[in-house]
Amino acid sequence: MSKVTDPNVTPVLIVENLALRFKGAPANIIDGISFAVCPGETLCIVGESGCGKSVTALSLMGLLPRSVAQVMSGTAMFGDRDLLELSQRAMADLRGNTISMIFQEPMTSLNPSYRIGDQIAEVVLRHKHVTRAEARQRALQMLDRVKIPAASSRLDDYPHELSGGMRQRVMIAMALANDPAVLIADEPTTALDVTIQAQIIDLVEELQKETGTALVMITHDLGVVAEIADRVCVMYAGHMVEDGPVASIFDDPQHPYTIGLMSSVPSVGPRSGRLATIGGMVPAIDQMPSGCRFTPRCPFAQANCEISTPPLDELGPSHRAACHYAPLETMFPETVLQEAGS
Amino acid sequence: MRLPTRDRIIETRSATKRFASSKGLFGRSVSVGAVNEVSLDIRRGETFSIVGESGCGKSTLARLLVRLLPASEGAVLYEGNDISSLSEPEMRRLRKDLQFVFQDPFSSLNPRMTVGALIEEPMKVHTSLSRKERRLKVADLLKKVGLRAAFANRYPHEFSGGQRQRIGIARALASGPKVIVGDEPVSALDVSVQAQVINLLEDLKAEFDLTLILIAHDLAVIRHMSDRIAVMYLGEIVELAPNDPLYDKPLHPYTQALMRAIPIASPHGRSMDVSLTGDVPSPLAPPSGCRFHPRCPHATSLCGTEKPALTDVANARMVACHHWEKIAENSQGSVREPPRSENAEKRFALFREISQRQEPVTAATETQIKLSERSHNNA
Repeated sequence: MSKVTDPNVTPVLIVENLALRFKGAPANIIDGISFAVCPGETLCIVGESGCGKSVTALSLMGLLPRSVAQVMSGTAMFGDRDLLELSQRAMADLRGNTISMIFQEPMTSLNPSYRIGDQIAEVVLRHKHVTRAEARQRALQMLDRVKIPAASSRLDDYPHELSGGMRQRVMIAMALANDPAVLIADEPTTALDVTIQAQIIDLVEELQKETGTALVMITHDLGVVAEIADRVCVMYAGHMVEDGPVASIFDDPQHPYTIGLMSSVPSVGPRSGRLATIGGMVPAIDQMPSGCRFTPRCPFAQANCEISTPPLDELGPSHRAACHYAPLETMFPETVLQEAGS
Repeated sequence: MRLPTRDRIIETRSATKRFASSKGLFGRSVSVGAVNEVSLDIRRGETFSIVGESGCGKSTLARLLVRLLPASEGAVLYEGNDISSLSEPEMRRLRKDLQFVFQDPFSSLNPRMTVGALIEEPMKVHTSLSRKERRLKVADLLKKVGLRAAFANRYPHEFSGGQRQRIGIARALASGPKVIVGDEPVSALDVSVQAQVINLLEDLKAEFDLTLILIAHDLAVIRHMSDRIAVMYLGEIVELAPNDPLYDKPLHPYTQALMRAIPIASPHGRSMDVSLTGDVPSPLAPPSGCRFHPRCPHATSLCGTEKPALTDVANARMVACHHWEKIAENSQGSVREPPRSENAEKRFALFREISQRQEPVTAATETQIKLSERSHNNA
């Protein structure tokens, strides 16, 4: 199912052991981030606010100034180039061209004082040797592809004249105008209503099928993950705690954080008692525990969790989790017995 | 089907809210109907939820129910008395019973007041408690919402979003209300914190015999918490039903579309369906007849001309659709979550078991205390 496990497909983006630290911060904001995406594949990075998922995306796009966020280790190979090593100028040539990004809030990421047609055309003009007329033609074509009704009459609209869903379509049109190899989407549907979210997700999947773009989707919504992902990477407090194929993550969750997160989401099915909760909250950067960062909130935590950071261990086919005590039922068997007996 | 009078705590009769909206340079004034002729009964002690997409008027309706906004037309009754015509001082006395929890825990607490003063304020207005009694009650309320009594001396900015929402809830409880309206009370919170606040609201509802009115757009949260649910579209209620029947067999085509659009948290249930195209029309110029007809796959010419009334159908359900019987026959909207795998079930149970054994509330609070104390000392 997943393309990474298929040796014939080469990943288009390979991130390895990425660690980043904000200037003056006592700990790395993200640490040990490794993942790969293949053409046509969708990788979801999931986690709660402050887990570092957006910082990861921004650093790959070269949108974090190096003076602020220092790369402590790692590589991000895009073809034969390391995105983390590229100059600002080289990065600007890639951005919006072969690697592009869409953001959560389409209103603030579109320029309110330019017509949407011009904004899409600008992306094309910046990267391709085309005339203004050709770029405008491409903009029209893209608006059509993202299914904006009566696209030719919308070309000269300003962002404020469009609804939230339409604005996100424009963002997608802009991001895909140059047929990028990688599209990073940071919570693209979080600000939208469910019916509009369904439309946008459907659209993204359809376009991805046509173009073979690799999609890195950042979200906190497990429903969206289940709907769209091929592979999933779960982050907590800047660390990757688990990654694997989507079916394996949902059917065989290993890390206590993944398990806690999944069981604290209410189900749309019939009610099944109180929600499980993860106690406490995400630690601030200056209070990061050493060892496993989930230790203070983990019901299974033992003494050594505070001391040593568990490595990402392979627990199933291309399924890894960073927990000293996974799989949990073999480490805490007496509880399972009690559970079965009650 | 109407509830018996003694069971109704709040009811509305053709409640309408219009806002003036000026259009054009010279302010030709136009009014926007945010809520249009809504009639409903809320049962004492239930959790009643209002769902719908942004702009459907759910927040306006919630404000009408407790008269944070006056109705433009129609009546809103609390305990059988019309509150839409009460004077301000009379209304202020009623405020004690009708409290509100807001969505944004960051902007709904005065940053210049301590947490203790914030929670004490409603008691000053509504009760005759002495200063000392009030202080004791503040400490008690803080404990009830899972915070430490010593937090009373701190300011809102020292707390996380989840903690602030707990403070907002403690403040709402301070006057000893009978009804609490929560306008998206958990939607600004992260999933794990959201679950804590949902459980807290449920516990407090049972402990204080509250009637809970919830506004939310998250259909899973609504499913988990509600007894009855009203679905709104463009200012009107299109369907009203008890929880399980609504999710098992939605009758109105809009409800069906809404249900089908929910992403199910299971990769084996990839079913999300785009059955609803386009956006919600502008409330400035609502469509004629049934307001949903331009987006409805079942619409006929009748729908464009005649507005369907919200009518009783079987089993305490109401629906506003000319063709609901035909549509219901092949209802495709029901939400089914595929069963979880054995491994997942086993580990969820294990997680629940072990975290409960550690007394979840105290464990959570202890961590918060430790963290807050550290940040407090650093500050």
